[in-house]
Amino acid sequence: MKKYLVLIRTGIMDKLNFRVSLIVTFVGNIIYLITIYFLWKAIYLSSGKETVNGMTFNDTMIYLVLATALFNMMEIFLVWYMGNQVRSGKIVFDLIKPIKFGLYMFFGQLGEVVVNFVVIFLPTVVIVYIVTGGGILAGKNILLFFVAMILAFIINYCINMLVAALCLFTESSWGINIMKEVIVSVLSGKSIPLAFFPNSIKSIVELLPFQAVYNTPLTMLINNNLSVENYVKMFGMQILWLMVLLCGAVWFWKYSLRRVTINGG
Amino acid sequence: MEIIELINVKREFKILNRREGIAGGIKDLFSRDYRYLSAVDDISLKIKKGEIVGYLGPNGAGKSTTIKMMTGILEPTSGKVLVNGKEPYRNRIENAQDIGVVFGQRSQLWWSLPLKESFKVLKEIYQVSDKDYKDMLDLYMSLIDIKNLWDKPVRQMSLGQRTLSDILAAFLHNPSVVYLDEPTIGLDVSMKSKIQEFIKGLNSQKATTIILTTHDMGDVDALCNRIVIIDKGKKLYDDNIENLHKMFGMYRIMKICFSKDVGELDYDSLKDKAAELEKELQENFSGDDMTVSVDEGWIDILMNEEDVSLMEVMNFIQSKQHIYNIKLEEISTEKVIKKIYEGGTIL
Repeated sequence: MKKYLVLIRTGIMDKLNFRVSLIVTFVGNIIYLITIYFLWKAIYLSSGKETVNGMTFNDTMIYLVLATALFNMMEIFLVWYMGNQVRSGKIVFDLIKPIKFGLYMFFGQLGEVVVNFVVIFLPTVVIVYIVTGGGILAGKNILLFFVAMILAFIINYCINMLVAALCLFTESSWGINIMKEVIVSVLSGKSIPLAFFPNSIKSIVELLPFQAVYNTPLTMLINNNLSVENYVKMFGMQILWLMVLLCGAVWFWKYSLRRVTINGG
Repeated sequence: MEIIELINVKREFKILNRREGIAGGIKDLFSRDYRYLSAVDDISLKIKKGEIVGYLGPNGAGKSTTIKMMTGILEPTSGKVLVNGKEPYRNRIENAQDIGVVFGQRSQLWWSLPLKESFKVLKEIYQVSDKDYKDMLDLYMSLIDIKNLWDKPVRQMSLGQRTLSDILAAFLHNPSVVYLDEPTIGLDVSMKSKIQEFIKGLNSQKATTIILTTHDMGDVDALCNRIVIIDKGKKLYDDNIENLHKMFGMYRIMKICFSKDVGELDYDSLKDKAAELEKELQENFSGDDMTVSVDEGWIDILMNEEDVSLMEVMNFIQSKQHIYNIKLEEISTEKVIKKIYEGGTIL
């Protein structure tokens, strides 16, 4: 267990070394949030109604601000890292550690996510809470959100691991990474709340793993009056996908390693 | 006891035959036209505990592929690799616990962290006990001065410091085998010998088996008691260095100087002279592999004494021109290796 803790610690130290990157992320987010503020303002104005698809302008903004913060927190650069390691041949060093590659990366990333949680997500939640005058309720939803967030992180990690394994074949990560980001950000409810999807598409999206990454934890955080049935359904979906993706990622990684030649030297 | 054993190991790579141009590129997308390249072709090898083996071969000979199979990253197409009695590619994690790897051109250390932090991580990953860790550091301190490296982030280190740090890191968990892939590449002379001494010291203290691939014959002469040479995936030579020299013992280099003062001859005229001499010698003597080259004012004649008599060659040259100075040299390891690489299956 100690070796995993030390990896988390290293991830934290690594992340803290890049102070400028934290500031750039922060500024970039402000600009992004200003853009979506005006975009959604225009959408609500043109509709002429107070609530669209059951969400008020305030609801939508809270959702999107938190979605952005959650995205920045959970964003891991595994695919990018893998592409680099494969091209430079340094992947060898990751593979000769007496530790499973998946776990090795997971705990390193976890360290970075811990930093992100403290410096990005927590402040955002506090600011939203203050600005909206208690727009986020503080109750059992916080606890449920935490559980959902951890599950979401693992699901997100597995998705990344699956895509990262593809890098072993293509030796280039840029294209696949962009594709992954677009798919995840649209289908997860990160860019547009799922309530705004047409019903037919929404029913499909709700069966996919992506919404379990952003939509599920956010819904649990914002909404405090979900029925027990709702919770069971949402957690059930998360756990189901977690198991499927975990098995898939483990298998695909093993398969890829056997098939692939390692560059260099 | 054998610590590493390779039994008829083969490794093939499947390579797509690419066509030319854009149209060819589009066709390639659907092509199933592969060829097979054998990177390692039927190699058998036994390495004992505590040996330092120089694993040599020209670029692309299959050295790295062999090392990758021994570290468990690649699986052989056929044959068997055994490290500590186990097949590394089937027990990659287990095998990893007991090996260390250094690639001279890449670093395994955490780029932004000071060396001591990287070591702490490695200590936990390899589950080294506090006592063993401390003992190892003490051993390091006794062999080499590492104080100025200790607090330095890896990205701020010079190449020499970084390579040294990587070697320290590879030995940290006291592995039974360490693979060193061109550890002294790009280093200055003093750093090179420092690192050679250090590796030697660790090998004798810990009886670590070391597989060294390098193109630097200085490393080989300083470290290896045994060398294995491969080319095009096949083993060409496997014995100690003395035998290698003996095998080429009949080769001598005769160095001749045609002028009182070495400095007054310019390179171009010497070069012409050497070419002329080579032609004449080949016409008059039977040895086909007699070569003449220029070395800082001297003219070097490489000859095989089995084919030609040294005295005859000397007399022949003397009859044409006045010789001011003459030296005889044993052939260096580097030249022997070069001969083997170029000669292909000379053995």
